[in-house]
Amino acid sequence: MAPLNKKIQKFLKDSIRVAPKISKKGELAELRNGLVSPYPQTRKDAIKKTIQQMTLGKDVSSLFPDVLKNIATNDVEQKKLVYLYVMNYAESHPELCILAVNTFVTDAQDPNPLIRCMSIRTMSMVRVDKILEYVEIPLRRTLQDDNPYVRKTAVICVAKLFQLNQELCIELGVLEDLVSALDDSNPMVVANATAALTEIHGVDPSVVSLPKLINSHVSQFLLALNECTEWARITILGALADYSAKDSLEAQDIIDRVSAHLQHVNPAVVLATIKVIIRNLPQIQQQNFKAISLKLSSALVSIMSTPPEMQYVALKNIRIILEKYPELLVKELRIFYVKFNDPLYVKLEKIDIMVRLVDATNLKQCNLLLTELKEYAMEFEPEFVSKSIQGITQLAIKYSGEKFVSKALDDLLELVDRTENLKDDCCIAMCDLLRHCPTNEKIASDICALLNSWAVPESSLISDAAKCNYIWLMGHYPEKFTDLEGKLDQMIENFVQEECMTQASILMTVVRLHTQLPGSTLQNVLEMATTSVNEIDIRDMAMIYWRCLSMPNSDTLVDQLCKSVAPIFENALDNFSTETLEKLLNELSTISSIYFRPQSVRAKRYVLRQNIVRGKRMDELKDMAKNEIAKNMNDDVLLDFGDDEPKTSSSGNVSSNLLDDLDDIFGFNSTGATTSSETKDMQSSTNKMNTSTTNTQDLLNLF
Amino acid sequence: MGNFFSSMFDRLWGVNKELRILILGLDGAGKTTILYRLQIGEVVTTKPTIGFNVETLSYKNLKLNVWDLGGQTSIRPYWRCYYTDTAAVIFVVDSTDKDRMATASKELHVMLQEEELQDAALLVFANKQDQPGALSATEVSKELNLVELKDRSWSIVASSAIRGEGITEGLDWLIDVIKEEQLAA
Ligand SMILES: Nc1nc2c(ncn2[C@@H]2O[C@H](COP(=O)(O)OP(=O)(O)OP(=O)(O)O)[C@@H](O)[C@H]2O)c(=O)[nH]1
Ligand SMILES: [Mg+2]
Repeated sequence: MAPLNKKIQKFLKDSIRVAPKISKKGELAELRNGLVSPYPQTRKDAIKKTIQQMTLGKDVSSLFPDVLKNIATNDVEQKKLVYLYVMNYAESHPELCILAVNTFVTDAQDPNPLIRCMSIRTMSMVRVDKILEYVEIPLRRTLQDDNPYVRKTAVICVAKLFQLNQELCIELGVLEDLVSALDDSNPMVVANATAALTEIHGVDPSVVSLPKLINSHVSQFLLALNECTEWARITILGALADYSAKDSLEAQDIIDRVSAHLQHVNPAVVLATIKVIIRNLPQIQQQNFKAISLKLSSALVSIMSTPPEMQYVALKNIRIILEKYPELLVKELRIFYVKFNDPLYVKLEKIDIMVRLVDATNLKQCNLLLTELKEYAMEFEPEFVSKSIQGITQLAIKYSGEKFVSKALDDLLELVDRTENLKDDCCIAMCDLLRHCPTNEKIASDICALLNSWAVPESSLISDAAKCNYIWLMGHYPEKFTDLEGKLDQMIENFVQEECMTQASILMTVVRLHTQLPGSTLQNVLEMATTSVNEIDIRDMAMIYWRCLSMPNSDTLVDQLCKSVAPIFENALDNFSTETLEKLLNELSTISSIYFRPQSVRAKRYVLRQNIVRGKRMDELKDMAKNEIAKNMNDDVLLDFGDDEPKTSSSGNVSSNLLDDLDDIFGFNSTGATTSSETKDMQSSTNKMNTSTTNTQDLLNLF
Repeated sequence: MGNFFSSMFDRLWGVNKELRILILGLDGAGKTTILYRLQIGEVVTTKPTIGFNVETLSYKNLKLNVWDLGGQTSIRPYWRCYYTDTAAVIFVVDSTDKDRMATASKELHVMLQEEELQDAALLVFANKQDQPGALSATEVSKELNLVELKDRSWSIVASSAIRGEGITEGLDWLIDVIKEEQLAA
């Protein structure tokens, strides 16, 4: 008993020591006494102690009135401390804030510009209506201050005020002051006014006509650019990037004047500059193009020697730029070689970029990259290896020559031979290669020979996509497999537990080969697919097959359904739609370029998510949605099948759109038929199965 | 460390000690005008005080920490936050504002009930004497029921903050009382 007691005591002691000390009554009372002490120095000490407690995360808000008494002082340090405290706790004591108003207003006229700034900044930052009521005069005064430091602060305060209270901000008419600040003699004020206007425009585009303002201030921006700090520079460059030059001369002029900033040490400045140049690039004259792209490429290369996080951002942006100007970095392949100490996320992006930028007409370069990728595939990080293997296929298909494809295939064969657990990735990769050269007997035989040699395919492969590809191959080249029936049976055994791509693939293959298989196999699969599978698409497919098979001319029908040839797989790299690409180029070096989703799309999604998800648990919602859709689909599609064509297809569409949306919400990877073009756009290269999945999908879509 | 010693020193010798004085009264009575009359000896243009003003002034070798609180109805409830350690209250009355004498009287007596102000001396300024029709100090004293005050040193002085009349007289009285009380204590 005794030791247990001791343990409990020790535990209590420890937990008390670990937990932050809760300020005792006594401690607060002591601080309060200090704050109202008749001795100035004691008061200041007490303020310091209070702030100290505050920064430790203790709640000292009950001292608010007493701290506030010390706000009116000539001691700048003390004033700063009290302001700090007020900012922190104002919202918890909105009524008491009124006691500070007089001091704020007086401080906004203090001879010391720092104090003027402090006051106006605090007033427009604190979410207390009583304070905002009195902000007008100080704000107006500081907007016209003699000191540029004060003006540049006041300008930002307008944007803050706008966020807190739009009506008030418009009513006070300070937006007009903001607009005239664009003509300020001080570049920092111009930059901050631009930033403030951009922010306000983002909240409500109707209150300021930003594009018009930018149009009329280009020359101010270009002038201010060279004299302001780097962050202000980014803002101004951002505004310039929204401007479309009138003609090629102006475009060239803008490019010339911003180009110097391509060499800036801050990568954000470099990216912002690149954005301006890219914006003007389509307008310039052909003979100048070369020189500019040289500058651009060396700037892009320079950001690749920054810390990994920035490299990542750079790589994402490069990916977008390359899609528009594929020839830009063609000579710089080596810069993107993976370094052993790169973090995984950078490695994955680098592989993607290299495959994209390699010159498909340059055999030497392609060979170099192939060797490089093969080396990566022998590393140990699974995602990195998968991506490299995927890269090998993408590269081979990009170069396209059959000889090169064979070489890539040999590399893959060698890789599987070396490492057991690459079977999944290699299976997918090889099937992709085969789809690119469907007529090449040698390739087909090599691949089938390898896959045929796996004794228990069911347990060799793990991922849905890999299994799907494997079964597709069996269906396509049945003569190249020994014990086809046995292998298929292994897969069929787990039919119900498999994921839907594998299920679909099994279903198709069994139907396609039904003449070579025992009748019970077909019956068995069709039954399972129509009764025991949750996935609507699979059920549908099975229904259709079943109907066809029970028609009088079933053989020709099934032939037509199953023997059609998959389209040749021309491009293993995903692309943006033209529209998306243009939007992304306009939003370069913003969060859009990380997600590869333009802002308009992101905003829409957000709303959708809010409306639907509010107040519901995720799994609850998921079940609800699935049931609802399953019910509709059963009613509409299955019952009306055949006799009411238009209605069927339209309702089918609606529900599949719905499915899309839901899948997006839940972050599912959409399956076969339900991949909308938008999701294809955004399927980022980080998803390692990505391209192979899409390919597998169009295999499935065939039937 | 330096701070620590200097604050110890302050406390040991009583130097740098500040006396807290509150200026209270209804809005528009002339509190802020009086404060700055004392501080810089001039009439300043004022706006209604939303919150407070505080100035430190030296008067007859004493350091006075004078607080002028806003008198609007919405701010009056917060006066109490400032009562601790108050040596004296200066209550300013607009002698021309006959309609609100009762309100002023009520606010004054409620305030003086407060435990924390039991030892505080009271000086009333019957302000705005330069205006025609202003009540005299005696009349104001009656309106405010000052005779009822027990156990408190109090005085009423007719003043005009604009002309600078009565202000120093009042303050002189106040300082004498405070000094006496400090000696007694
Ligand atoms: N004629 C005259 N006007 C005065 C006198 N004292 C103050 N005033 C005027 O009265 C008005 C209000 O004075 P303030 O000092 O702002 O009044 P307050 O008591 O501080 O008012 P709140 O801050 O709202 O509580 C101002 O216009 C002053 O000029 C005085 O002695 N005579
Ligand atoms: Mg006042």
